[in-house]
Amino acid sequence: MPSTHPLEVLNALVGSDAWPILRLGLQVGFFLVVVLLLKRMLDLRPLTRLPQPSRPDRVYRGLVVFLAVLFAALLLHQASWQLTGVLRPEFVNFMQLHDRRQFNPAHRLQRGRILDHRGTVLAESQEALGRAYRHYPYGRAFAHVVGYQDPKFGTTGVEDAASVHLNGGAPASLRGWGELGRQILIQDPRPRGQDLVLTLDAELQQAAFELMGERRGAVVLLHPQTGALRVLLSTPAFDPNRIGPELFRGADPSTPLLNRATQGLYPPGSTFKVVLAAQALDAGFSGTLHCPAEGFTTSSRYKKIRDHEYYTAREGGGTWKGFGDLDLGTAFAKSSNVFFAQLGVRYPHDAFYRNAERFYFNRRLTLYESPYGRWSVPTGSLTALEDSDQYGLAQMSIGQGGVLATPLHLALIAAAVANQGVAMQPRLVEADPPTSLARFMPAATAARLTEMMRRVVTEGTGRTINAKQLAIAGKTGTAENAQGEAHSWFIGFAPADKPTLAMAVLVEGGGWGSRAAAPIARELALRAQARGMLQ
Amino acid sequence: MSPPHAPHALNLRDAWDRRWPERQLLALCTLAITLGFLMTLGESPTGEQAPSAGELLPALLYALSLAAIHLTLVACRFRGDQMLVGAAAFLFGFGLLAQHRLGATDAGGGLGGYAFPLGIAVLLITLVGFMRGRYQRLAAVPWLWAGLSLGLLAVLLILGQRFRGGVYAPGLITPTELLKLTLVVFLAGYIHRHQQALGTWTGPVPLPPLGPLWPLAAFWLVLGGLLLLQRDIGMFLILSLTLVVLLAAGTGRIGYLVYGVVAAGGLGYLVLYLFAHGQRRLQAWQDPFADPTGASWQILQGLSGMYSGGLWGQGFGQGNPEYTPIAESDFIYAVIGEELGFLGCTLVVILFLILFARGLSIAWRSRSSFGFLLGVGLTSVIATQTFLNLGGVTAFIPLTGLTLPLISHGGSSLLTAFAMLGLILAISEDHPAAAQPGPTPPAAPRPRKGPARSAPPKGSAPRPTRRRPRPAGAGPTGGPPPAAR
Repeated sequence: MPSTHPLEVLNALVGSDAWPILRLGLQVGFFLVVVLLLKRMLDLRPLTRLPQPSRPDRVYRGLVVFLAVLFAALLLHQASWQLTGVLRPEFVNFMQLHDRRQFNPAHRLQRGRILDHRGTVLAESQEALGRAYRHYPYGRAFAHVVGYQDPKFGTTGVEDAASVHLNGGAPASLRGWGELGRQILIQDPRPRGQDLVLTLDAELQQAAFELMGERRGAVVLLHPQTGALRVLLSTPAFDPNRIGPELFRGADPSTPLLNRATQGLYPPGSTFKVVLAAQALDAGFSGTLHCPAEGFTTSSRYKKIRDHEYYTAREGGGTWKGFGDLDLGTAFAKSSNVFFAQLGVRYPHDAFYRNAERFYFNRRLTLYESPYGRWSVPTGSLTALEDSDQYGLAQMSIGQGGVLATPLHLALIAAAVANQGVAMQPRLVEADPPTSLARFMPAATAARLTEMMRRVVTEGTGRTINAKQLAIAGKTGTAENAQGEAHSWFIGFAPADKPTLAMAVLVEGGGWGSRAAAPIARELALRAQARGMLQ
Repeated sequence: MSPPHAPHALNLRDAWDRRWPERQLLALCTLAITLGFLMTLGESPTGEQAPSAGELLPALLYALSLAAIHLTLVACRFRGDQMLVGAAAFLFGFGLLAQHRLGATDAGGGLGGYAFPLGIAVLLITLVGFMRGRYQRLAAVPWLWAGLSLGLLAVLLILGQRFRGGVYAPGLITPTELLKLTLVVFLAGYIHRHQQALGTWTGPVPLPPLGPLWPLAAFWLVLGGLLLLQRDIGMFLILSLTLVVLLAAGTGRIGYLVYGVVAAGGLGYLVLYLFAHGQRRLQAWQDPFADPTGASWQILQGLSGMYSGGLWGQGFGQGNPEYTPIAESDFIYAVIGEELGFLGCTLVVILFLILFARGLSIAWRSRSSFGFLLGVGLTSVIATQTFLNLGGVTAFIPLTGLTLPLISHGGSSLLTAFAMLGLILAISEDHPAAAQPGPTPPAAPRPRKGPARSAPPKGSAPRPTRRRPRPAGAGPTGGPPPAAR
């Protein structure tokens, strides 16, 4: 019988397939022996006890307790990194980017999926070569609202605001905590995060994306009664599946990274007449104003504010005789600048600001909020005018000059009209309960405005989008801007008698509101109807 | 004032019997550490190679060291603490294991692989040299230790070289580590001598007496200046905390702690605004993600390793500590977290806590006020250093760049820690009961271990069994067991 050297046996063992299991056994053994050592220390305490102290025992015990608490706090803090590191999105990013340890679970972290309200996947984690990465099936269409998550380039949109939730670090229920505990306990090499269901509608958003085509702008669709956002689109977009450094060099003049729907501040143009009409209605305005063809100004030093019919006629070589006397409803349907400029300066400045601030100008909106992250966006802004600046007030009254708004804010204003004057908190997460944000106007005013906005589509500037099968109400806007061609706006809602969809469409440099933005709004409203979303 | 010991009343057999709990603890330590060494087999940090006899050599070395310690203690009829020996043995064994795993035992750097046996020798020499109350002689000339400390610092300032923001002696040895020893001896001696005066506070607003305090304050100013010149903020922190603790402990005046906290706040503020070095570390702690690839790189790499270790760890030898800079010294705790998980970390912390509690307990039961102060001081130094290291690595507090006592690589730090342990053990022998002649209370004789073990000496009294270590009439604090011999 050949004598085998013990070392050779060991060698064979270490090289064998059983070694990983043996090693695990050794580790368990190690822990057990240390625990046994601690237990023996406890058992042997009486035998190795030192004699009674000559000094106060109370102080000694206090000191020992103090040390124990101090180190327990340290261990607790350590656990917040070591065990529940997913609660720190920056830490997860750091590990995914900079940790070369192949077995670090952060590399294979299966972040939760992002779903639309019908369960369509908008973002999911996939794995290749031992690394998890994020896949966005809709690509550019959801680039801004869903955002991207990339260890190198960070996170944006919902991916950023809900990062902890998606990583699985913010369990909402006891079961969720149980799941997190289970993953820690079994040391899951592929920890799973939690899914997040959004209020968005994938098909509508995709349709909006296709309708916008190459044009720059934004589309916002929401449910007026609950504030649920159905579409939040900004174009041009980037491809969230291909995030690279060239995207961030800022060379692209079309600024694809900018979320125009929430961050873009544009002159609202005639869509702002909704706000001013509410002011006039609440102030009890009735009767008519004379609107001459040559326009209106507050001082001969300033350029006259005219209606676009004047320019159209002049371009065609003819002359236009003007609107004559107009009442509020007709002026609103025809979108007369001369009328609304005069209407605005009839009231003092502070009345104008008081009214506009009711509509939530100069504030912020919160789209997502949790203890671990929030996403808030600005609303429109108003420049403070000197009380003597009448011309500035006239300009702001027709949505030019010192007034700027985001597409989301204007959609919210349309939604408030559709919801009897109350604006609901716009929300992205399906599970968030609907909450009211503010009352923008009295219910009676909202009812009058609804009629007026319906008239815009039946006989006014928006008559080109009038559809037989759906009663759309709205307001067009053609916002002049210093950069070039006017921005095309349409805000509104449908169906007019019982609105369930509010919308705002902006096409940058699109010209007439009725030509570029309104048809997109019409098409989307009809698609929503076809999808049964307008019941 | 030599205490009336009666060492020769104890024969070797009794000494052997008396230390059986220690023997048992050391055996468990050996078992645990050997299992740990087996785990690292085949995971040699130098590459894929078959295990060689050399890889189990440190385990053998460890077992031999524990045997040497135990036999020396028995041979010297040492009556001191046994629990502390067990806790410390586990911790430095763990350190040896971790350093072996990181490949630090076979490479150079300081004392390299010699640090460990040398440390054991230092421990035993210190212990034997100062046991039987001989440590009291240290109190004779306190200012000698103060002078020695300042001398060490001055020499280092002249000869030292800069490395990683600190000053080191040639060969990257840090003689300042010795300050932890010399200064605690000085403080214990000084405060012991001026106990009465330091405890007499006067005035409507309670103020400490300036008379006995000013030499101490002046000395501290010089010491602080020299240490801060070397950017050794961590060391200054440890020593200052120990100063305050010892003043409070020696006089029973909580006021010293209050003034200490105030002074520490002011000083900390000053230091932070004087040194960019400290400020960077503070920022890296407050917001580690402000500069993840720069100032916070090391700490975040350590934490990443800990995260991948999770609760149970990747297994000893399975982690990638090479991605954490300076893993073998300051960041060894991160390696423990990576390879043995949160559980391993918790066990290490518990053993450290046992060590501190035991150290304090020994001080509390010392006969002399000097022994009390020395014990509290030494324990305080070790505890503070441990807390600063662990807290820094886990981002609980700003990083101070200190080693983990007994575990980190670093010859000077290890040797000093061993010497401190030796001193604490020497104090542990010095309690009221030890002065009593005859059989001593803690010495419940070794119980029967089982049928396989040799029979107990004939004629011995009924012995406690392992299950019932407290037989009737042999209360550990009560009368001694009737060892009829």
